[in-house]
Amino acid sequence: MTIYETEVPGVGHKFEMDLDGDERLVVIIHHDGKRDVYRRPDPDADSEQLFSLTGKQARQLGSILEGAYFQPVELDEVEVPLGDAIIEWYEVGESELTGQTLKEANLRERVGVSVIAIQRGDETIPNPRPETTIEAEDTVVTIGKRDEQQALSDLLGE
Amino acid sequence: MAAGLLEVGVAIAVLALAGLIALRVGLSVIPAYIVAGILVGPNPPTSVAGVSLQIVPTGEFVEIAAEIGIVLLLFFLGLEFSVGQLLSDWRRITAAGTVDFLINFGLGVALGIAFGRTPLEVAFIAGIVYISSSAIVTKSLIEQGWVANPEADSILGTLVYEDILIAVYLAVLTAVVGGAGEASAVAVDVARAFAVLGAIAAVAWYATEYVERAFDLPTDELFVLGVVGTTTLIAGAALATGVSEAVAAFFVGTAFSQTDHVEKIEDLVAPVRDFFAAVFFLSIGLATDVTLLADVALLLGVAVIATTLSKLVSGTISGRIYGLTPTRSLRTGIGLVPRGEFSLVIAALATGAGGTLAEVVPAFAVGYVLAMSVVGTVLIQEADSVTGALVPLFERS
Repeated sequence: MTIYETEVPGVGHKFEMDLDGDERLVVIIHHDGKRDVYRRPDPDADSEQLFSLTGKQARQLGSILEGAYFQPVELDEVEVPLGDAIIEWYEVGESELTGQTLKEANLRERVGVSVIAIQRGDETIPNPRPETTIEAEDTVVTIGKRDEQQALSDLLGE
Repeated sequence: MAAGLLEVGVAIAVLALAGLIALRVGLSVIPAYIVAGILVGPNPPTSVAGVSLQIVPTGEFVEIAAEIGIVLLLFFLGLEFSVGQLLSDWRRITAAGTVDFLINFGLGVALGIAFGRTPLEVAFIAGIVYISSSAIVTKSLIEQGWVANPEADSILGTLVYEDILIAVYLAVLTAVVGGAGEASAVAVDVARAFAVLGAIAAVAWYATEYVERAFDLPTDELFVLGVVGTTTLIAGAALATGVSEAVAAFFVGTAFSQTDHVEKIEDLVAPVRDFFAAVFFLSIGLATDVTLLADVALLLGVAVIATTLSKLVSGTISGRIYGLTPTRSLRTGIGLVPRGEFSLVIAALATGAGGTLAEVVPAFAVGYVLAMSVVGTVLIQEADSVTGALVPLFERS
């Protein structure tokens, strides 16, 4: 990502950052610490001032944006580390597992993971029994090592 | 003693009042300070409805504070002078700046000659109409939000070029004014001035590390005293040897520009500069005899109209050099219309010279700066209507 920096004599420094498309974010840092933040929707448009912050406010906002206080969980990539093992969620969909019982699917022998729960709609089946059938709309929750999880993922055709 | 204190008190109170009014009206404080000086000064009008207005005599304090104002204005010009920016963008800055210089300085020379002025007066008039006001222009850029737009590059680039040129110009003019008058003597004076300034510049360039360490002072108070003291001392010493104090201060500023002290100076010394600069503008007003404006009225009227247009033209060309759209190019011109502090610094040099130069040039400069600071600020505020009306015209052609 390119950030353009220019000196503004008598004012301070100007930083410009490209956003999506032609949009550009412009930050003026004044010598007295004040920060003005502008947005320019496209190269031909005028910059609109979004807000102005003191040095202290800017530093706080900066650390919020950096994620110092809270890091969001990227829901597609949920991983809970348990030693070597991780817990993963898989949507079964129309795969070879659909309609099989857990005993028939025999995932522990075939790929190494254990099914610890099945989510079916709003309902969660914790610690499902061997005769529980896997259905197309299910999400199976499995625990296993990274390569085992990968093997299951391959099996499900993801 | 009491009289002196009263004089200073009145002067500062008048400035505060003038500044407040300017702020309310939404205009630059520079013309307000000058007008305040004219009103309360010893020259006519000296009274309104029988009430004496001669409340601020031009005393020693005002004179010296005004001189410190000039020194600090130029010091900051040097401080904010970015060698890095100049080097990284020198092609465009040189092209845009040269266009700006040739058109506006050239027009100043033409005007001076057309009105039958002496060569020295012509040199002064050309400088006064050429140089835009960094103070008013930058402030307007921020207020309009243009500072975040591409036209800020062409406007600030042109200002950078003007800054160097004004340093050279002041150095030459100071030597000429202080010189003996003979062409050969003038040449010697100019050469000597450049030798002294070259020495200061060389020291400034190579002393960065030393300045960095020397001004690593423990308290803010010592820091301000150190910076202002050094600058005033070097400027004063330069003046004592017949070299422009303003240009010496400019180079002292450049010595600081490469150090980490810049932000601290902007923070702590800028208010000191603003204080003394305000007294400088007041003193210009105090020294102005408005009755002399009548002598230069025609020149003034023509200059105001012609040089407003010439900045629009030169700015538009500079904008095109920067590859800007027609609207932004025209804005470059509009942004550069305000003239202010540097035109007055040039005029102050003429005041010191004595003779007819000391009468005609300052009166012209004051009238011109008053007009151009107001015209410039209003043009910038109304820029959208101006570009809206003008841009379609040259897009069609």
